Amino acid sequence: MEAFLGNLSLGFGTALTLNNIFFCFIGCMVGTLVGVLPGVGPIATIAMLLPITFGLDPTGALIMLAGIYYGAQYGGSTTAILVNLPGEATSVVTVLDGHQMAKQGRAGVALGIAAIGSFFAGTVATLLIAALGQPLTKLAQLFGPAEYFSLMIMGLVFAVVLARGSILKAICMILAGLLLSTVGTDLETGQERLTLGLQDLSDGIDFAVLAMGIFGFAEIVRNLENPETRDVVQRAVGKLLPGKEDFKQAYRPILRGTFVGAILGILPGNGAVLGPFASYTMEKKLAKDPSRFGRGAIEGVAGPEAANNAGAQTAFIPLLTLGIPPNAVMALMVGAMTIHGIIPGPQVMTKNPDLFWGMIASMWLGNLMLLVINLPLIGLWIRLLKVPYRMMFPAIMIFCCIGIYSVNNSTSDVLFTAFFGLVGYTLLKFGFEPAPMLLGFVLGKLMEEKLRQALILSRGSFMTFVERPVSGVLLAIAVLMLIIALLPSIRKGRDEVFVE
Amino acid sequence: MSEQTSPDDRKPSFGIRSGQDFGAGLFLIALGIFAFWQAQTLGRGTLNAMGAGMLPQSLAVMVAVGGLGLVITSLLVDGPRLERWSLRGAFFIFGGIVLFALTIRPLGLVVSGPLAMFFGSMASDEFRWKESAIFAVILTTICILLFKVLLRLPIPVVGSLLEPILPF
Amino acid sequence: MKRLILALAASVAFAGMSVAQTYPTKPITMIVPFAAGGPTDIVARLVSENMSKTLGQQIVVENVAGAGGTTGITRASQAKPDGYTIMMGHMGTHGAAPALYANLKYDPVKDFEPVGMAAGTPILIVTKKAFPANDMKEFVAYLKANADKVNQAHAGVGAVSHMTCILLNSQIGVKPTAVPYGGTGPALNDLVSGQVDYMCDQIVNLVSQVKAGSIKALAIASAERSPALPDVPTTKEAGLPEYQVAAWNAVFAPKGTPKDVVAKLTSALNTALDDAGTRKRLEDLGGVLPTKDERGGEWLGKFVASEVARWNPVLKASK
Repeated sequence: MEAFLGNLSLGFGTALTLNNIFFCFIGCMVGTLVGVLPGVGPIATIAMLLPITFGLDPTGALIMLAGIYYGAQYGGSTTAILVNLPGEATSVVTVLDGHQMAKQGRAGVALGIAAIGSFFAGTVATLLIAALGQPLTKLAQLFGPAEYFSLMIMGLVFAVVLARGSILKAICMILAGLLLSTVGTDLETGQERLTLGLQDLSDGIDFAVLAMGIFGFAEIVRNLENPETRDVVQRAVGKLLPGKEDFKQAYRPILRGTFVGAILGILPGNGAVLGPFASYTMEKKLAKDPSRFGRGAIEGVAGPEAANNAGAQTAFIPLLTLGIPPNAVMALMVGAMTIHGIIPGPQVMTKNPDLFWGMIASMWLGNLMLLVINLPLIGLWIRLLKVPYRMMFPAIMIFCCIGIYSVNNSTSDVLFTAFFGLVGYTLLKFGFEPAPMLLGFVLGKLMEEKLRQALILSRGSFMTFVERPVSGVLLAIAVLMLIIALLPSIRKGRDEVFVE
Repeated sequence: MSEQTSPDDRKPSFGIRSGQDFGAGLFLIALGIFAFWQAQTLGRGTLNAMGAGMLPQSLAVMVAVGGLGLVITSLLVDGPRLERWSLRGAFFIFGGIVLFALTIRPLGLVVSGPLAMFFGSMASDEFRWKESAIFAVILTTICILLFKVLLRLPIPVVGSLLEPILPF
Repeated sequence: MKRLILALAASVAFAGMSVAQTYPTKPITMIVPFAAGGPTDIVARLVSENMSKTLGQQIVVENVAGAGGTTGITRASQAKPDGYTIMMGHMGTHGAAPALYANLKYDPVKDFEPVGMAAGTPILIVTKKAFPANDMKEFVAYLKANADKVNQAHAGVGAVSHMTCILLNSQIGVKPTAVPYGGTGPALNDLVSGQVDYMCDQIVNLVSQVKAGSIKALAIASAERSPALPDVPTTKEAGLPEYQVAAWNAVFAPKGTPKDVVAKLTSALNTALDDAGTRKRLEDLGGVLPTKDERGGEWLGKFVASEVARWNPVLKASK
């Protein structure tokens, strides 16, 4: 306990210098900005800002870059709620109920609960990193390819639960998402798969391209044909902040979301991406009336947002304690550290304690700043919703185009976005939901990689997934959840099997 | 969703009781067949050493089977009909994005921004050309300030074709 | 109109002396064919920062990742050869790519004006902590005796860790089970937790794990020991002298870039490589800088040809 307090005070001593507060603030501001702008993710921004940080001292530079990262998570939920655009895999879930809330004139409540939930989760996660960061890395070491594969299977079951309409359609969408994820160069043989001979597809489909297309653009076209639905957003603006009743509904989901998100975030294989999905599934199953979900349930925003932010924070654990980046943004942080002469790894904690604890303390400070930045901004965002739709949608369109272009500096990405927009619109017409497809897509790549690794290591024996204890338990949970998910619809009788 | 369609506006044709599910099923079957055809040349390998084709091919089959399931349901269970398609919206929105992609590098954001926005604006039945044109120019200016000046993204403001003509 | 004609005339006559005297008059784009934050990107950013100062114009790094770096290099090779688009090539894009990508749209030897070598990072051979072999000799013997049991990790086809381990395996004469990963991070993670047995990769990616004792380093594939890991013997000392390989990064311009523009770039690059601050930063990463003989375009041109010749048979044989 004494060491813990000592570490924290060292951390706050570093983070609370005038310089570092300033860098933290800049990072949070820039992060919020790029998070709000669709397409422009933290990756492109951190890459662009790297050279600017050359002249800074490493702690300040890293505090700023980390600020961009979790600032972008906050900002991303704003776009998800207001205009139905998930910039990252983790905000796909926020879209589901968040945007519905906005359409019902509860955008302020959704944004407010997202910000407050995120702050709470961020605080808990920061404490968790400080107290248990070192021992928690051991947990990650338990996870080999077989365990990850089973975890991903569990994730796919979440996607089934996520669906609000027909379960058969949801399963079809997951499969289609998995199929899309196989597009690109095969990891093992280097063969091009399903690329239609296009070189631009050889690295697969970019998440932002797919998400902007099937969520963003498809939604715009759909809104244009139903003037009634789009005008609802503008007419009813409603409350600015969540009230007592909202908190009463949301505090439990926030607690659970924080817990789930924090645990999954520690896993080095980008487990954080599962956090929001897991939390949503949990809330939907625990709710008295699950049919509210997907129609603007506050729990469906509060829980996943907390899980998202908790995961975003604990994802720093593998980076800081093992030096192994769990996702692309963290890989960039490794680059940033190396440029500043700090090679991330197990020794950072002992060799550069001020940097290590300073960063952790600054995370909490950053979360506080984000809350302070974001709460007043809600009023502004809501006013933006009053802009007539005929002006709003071209603006969304151009921001998306620029954002998508800047991810890889590629015009073909922009063309693909248009294509997936068309696909997404078609899917909407056929009554499909895009969210399960996106989850299938996100998990697909990792799942195939892990499946093949596990089978290579076990020399072709599927028993490896059952024999390894952690993997076996995860699979058992997945099967159990699937049964729980399917049961209500099976009970309803033969005629309604596929309509929940 | 089924409660939205009242029984009397559903005309049973060829035994199809849900046009939406029927179309959805056909769409998935087509997707599955297309993907399988594209992946057929890839080696399937063994479980021990899975080839590049194993998963794409199996998933393609599963997607097609799922589609078949939907087609069958559409014949057995009443469901929503296919909605009307909005061709105007799709054409101008996706056309605008394509225009942006084609012009961003040769002409740069100064031209492709307003162009794409103006074209896209026509998707709305409330289109007013003067307003859209002015708004497109203003917003492009904001975008240049935001993305180029503030965030320093390497997006071409003046394209390669215009560069020699302009003095800067 | 006059201005238009003048401008067009000037851009057509790019081979003229007058252009080179004023070059550069606007920012230069350096295409890095990998994602930001990776080893090549870091080298590019460190070097270009100093080159910008010398040239008096900003060098803007543009990351165009994809297909083992060949997407970015293809685009850069097709850029206008006026010196305003240059690129950071790499062992993969300018050495191994012809063997790995059947429909490669450029020729590493013919389609570029080499500017100069920037920095290389030597390859380290590492095993999991619990691996039975403790030095190179034991390692080779163990591999030969247990080839069917051993698992080697790599970060995907075309990655440095993939190619360099193929070279290692072919020199030892074994074909162990190769486990592909989606990147160095996950591969390293499974090496640390003991799921796989060994891998080869750039020293910069491995040094902190080796220092912490979570993995074992057997040898470094360079002529001299690295100051970053002075206890790790070279492959020469460890008994595998023919295994000499480094992941190198070098600056190229598209074919047809005027000679004097290339010369200006080369001299700016050399200034950067002589700058104490830049040197230190590169060396802290475990980078090896080119000697005086290894600088400039001419040497690089020959080196690229020799690399293509070296990788072609090894990689084709592994398919």
